[in-house]
Amino acid sequence: MKSATGRSLAEIASLVVILALIVIFFAQASPVFLTQRNLENTLLDITTIGILAVFTTMLMIGGGLDLSIGSTVALCGVVIGALQASWGILPAAGFALIVGAFVGLLNGFLVTYVGINPLITTLGMLSIARGLAFVFSDGLTIPVFDLEGTQIDAYNTFTQLGEGQVLGLATPVFVMLVLFIFGLLILQFTSYGRAMYAIGGNDKASQLAGLSVRRYRMIAYMLSGLSAGIAAVLLTSRLYAADPRAAPAMELTVITAVVLGGISLAGGKGTLIGTALGVLILTTLLNGMKLLSTSTDAQNIAQGVVLLLAVGLDQLRTRNINWSRWLRGSRVVPSGASAKAAAGGD
Amino acid sequence: MSAPLLEMRNIEKSFYGVKVLDDVSIDLFAGETLALLGENGAGKSTLIKILNGDYTRDAGEVLLDGQVMRFTEPRDAEAAGIRMIYQELHYAPELSVAENLLLGRLLHRQGALGWMVDWNATREKAREALKLLNVEIDPMTKMRDLSVVEREIIEIVKALSQKARIIVMDEPTAALTPPEVQRLFGIIRDLCKQGIGIIYISHRLDEVFQIAQRVTVLRDGKHVGTRPIAEVTNKTLVHMMVGRDIEGRAEVRKNTAAIQRSDVVLDIAGLTKQGAFEDISLQVRAGEIVGLFGLLGAGHNILTQTIFGIEKADSGSVRINGQATQIASPQDGKRAGVGFVPLDRKVNGLVLGMSVRKNITLSNWRVLAPLGIFSQGKEMTNTRLWVDQLGIRMAGGIETHTRYLSGGNQQKVVLARWLEANVKVLLLNEPTWGVDVGARSDIYDQLEALAAQGLAILMVSSDIEEVLTVSHRILTIYRGRLTGEFMQNHATQEKLLHAAAGGVS
Repeated sequence: MKSATGRSLAEIASLVVILALIVIFFAQASPVFLTQRNLENTLLDITTIGILAVFTTMLMIGGGLDLSIGSTVALCGVVIGALQASWGILPAAGFALIVGAFVGLLNGFLVTYVGINPLITTLGMLSIARGLAFVFSDGLTIPVFDLEGTQIDAYNTFTQLGEGQVLGLATPVFVMLVLFIFGLLILQFTSYGRAMYAIGGNDKASQLAGLSVRRYRMIAYMLSGLSAGIAAVLLTSRLYAADPRAAPAMELTVITAVVLGGISLAGGKGTLIGTALGVLILTTLLNGMKLLSTSTDAQNIAQGVVLLLAVGLDQLRTRNINWSRWLRGSRVVPSGASAKAAAGGD
Repeated sequence: MSAPLLEMRNIEKSFYGVKVLDDVSIDLFAGETLALLGENGAGKSTLIKILNGDYTRDAGEVLLDGQVMRFTEPRDAEAAGIRMIYQELHYAPELSVAENLLLGRLLHRQGALGWMVDWNATREKAREALKLLNVEIDPMTKMRDLSVVEREIIEIVKALSQKARIIVMDEPTAALTPPEVQRLFGIIRDLCKQGIGIIYISHRLDEVFQIAQRVTVLRDGKHVGTRPIAEVTNKTLVHMMVGRDIEGRAEVRKNTAAIQRSDVVLDIAGLTKQGAFEDISLQVRAGEIVGLFGLLGAGHNILTQTIFGIEKADSGSVRINGQATQIASPQDGKRAGVGFVPLDRKVNGLVLGMSVRKNITLSNWRVLAPLGIFSQGKEMTNTRLWVDQLGIRMAGGIETHTRYLSGGNQQKVVLARWLEANVKVLLLNEPTWGVDVGARSDIYDQLEALAAQGLAILMVSSDIEEVLTVSHRILTIYRGRLTGEFMQNHATQEKLLHAAAGGVS
């Protein structure tokens, strides 16, 4: 019998090997790749993906899916930009978090109480949030800094979120690491984390065991939306601007990374360690390609291929396909003949 | 006697170095029903899968009419006339009987219209096939409008119309009512008359005595013996399957008088749900096991679901320990001290990809994780306690995923969960469905021990022996109404069946 932990350790190990191979390849191919500057920039670049991936992981372990996170990042950013003058920058940023959480809550409500398929629900929300972002910004990028010079302290504080440092790390990177560790602890030690695994593994049985399946699902969607709010605050602060086009197709990148890290679309299994490796592999690959002056189109293609490979391998693993039979093709072996072919059949 | 139709000689098979079949030989004659018995894990299904070409054997040979056969996939076995009728049938519910019978082989028109299905010819061909077994089913009926036994019969007709010579039936009666079982047995006897060999797998010994001519028993991958049915008794068969004697339980008489003086824990009055059950009133006392016996679809399963809060009642009341309780969801049920062991433990009872520990503690987070954070030591201690007390056996300790447990041990995990949640009332639905004989007796022991500790148990079952064995008191239900009440020492199979079939007691 294969032990479950043994198998997931093997999965983690193979991800580490893949990451190592990618790093070695790009280190050979590009002189810039292993420089401190590039590594720091890459790390800062992945903060949005990383933060979203933590909560997408929890959601997907619980059997959920959220395609609207990228659009929600844009919407939350635009909310900051639109409200900064009248509300003050810090209340506007705080409100952006609430907007994110609310979008997530709405997704959760539609999925659990109305019963719309998560894919459809969040696909609809993807469109709505992006549309609202354009409405509230008139389709323009909104500068986010102290135009009138009346709130210098507040803007300084806000800017620190994106540009400051905590414990020698860029603040966004620090926030990402804190959320990551927070997520690890939640999944490992809390009833909420346990609920995600139970519900994703078998929601019917969880329901019959007396768990409030709907409530846990709602919370998971809300946290997913909230993480988009957090990512939006950090991104807006770092870029001094709120762009309704921000985080384009970010949900795709995040889900690709998460699935690559071993989270099943069916839910119930996976770890944040896997997700971290998935994020690193995918972003390193995309960063390396950028350094080699590959076009964004090629990067998009690569990302799509990685997504399909990751999901495809997951499917094959869970279905336990009989490869030798598949490769041999189906043919009837007559009695007595070709004993070898038959013996090799299992 | 003539040469056997099928011989499987000295079959061996290992998975990951574990021998699951060790030198197993069986034979089957034309026109015979051979019962294949054994506990879960004895190797029955592996043997059958080898016969069917799903698995290849490591050693041994399969002979059909004395000819050595090599099956590498089910298609080969099918071509040789070997058919499987599985417990779960595969059919297209929205298509007609005729279409299901002739799926992939529908008759087409002639000439230029050859791309069109000739429905008249198809219907006629289906009717002919149905006539082979004298089955009165309209070939144009939709598959989903048939009863379970009729669907099974269609599956058999399909096998016959494709020139089956050997039909393997895996627990074909699991979902059938007693009259339906008799109908199926009639069909099986007809098949035998037509010279077809039947391998019949079942957990129900009484069926084996009714239908089989010989019986082969496997235990732990080994062939224990093959005997003519006339030479064995229930007791010898169980001994062959389990390797030891199982206590004759029917003789254990219970101290029901003391129980009838204890407090009423579960008190249901006038519970009604339109279309499911009507005006149900019953009481279960502390320490009492009440069996609720009915045929499938009599409403007893929905009744327990309603008590637990999965379904809503239209009227009536539920009192627990004398307190009126509103239970609108399983969470309410759990809070009120009610535990629910569902019908299908793999689908509704367990999170198969989670460990024994996490499954056992799934309903007790309030205590084990009071502020949302688990007290790991306490969780371990409690889990071990239940594993020891209930005798849950698994290969890799309490972190083993429940997927890898046998049916009996899985059921014990579900039981342990509610004990861990400290419930006062336990609602059981067919507690030993698909559990083998040895583990079944073990579960009965546990239920008795739990009752002795003061738990009130309401057990829904369609297995009459089980009801007679375990219950202190038995209620019968027919079409949603209670039709009889028997103390254990007054109950007999005849009385229960009579009452459960709607007869006045």
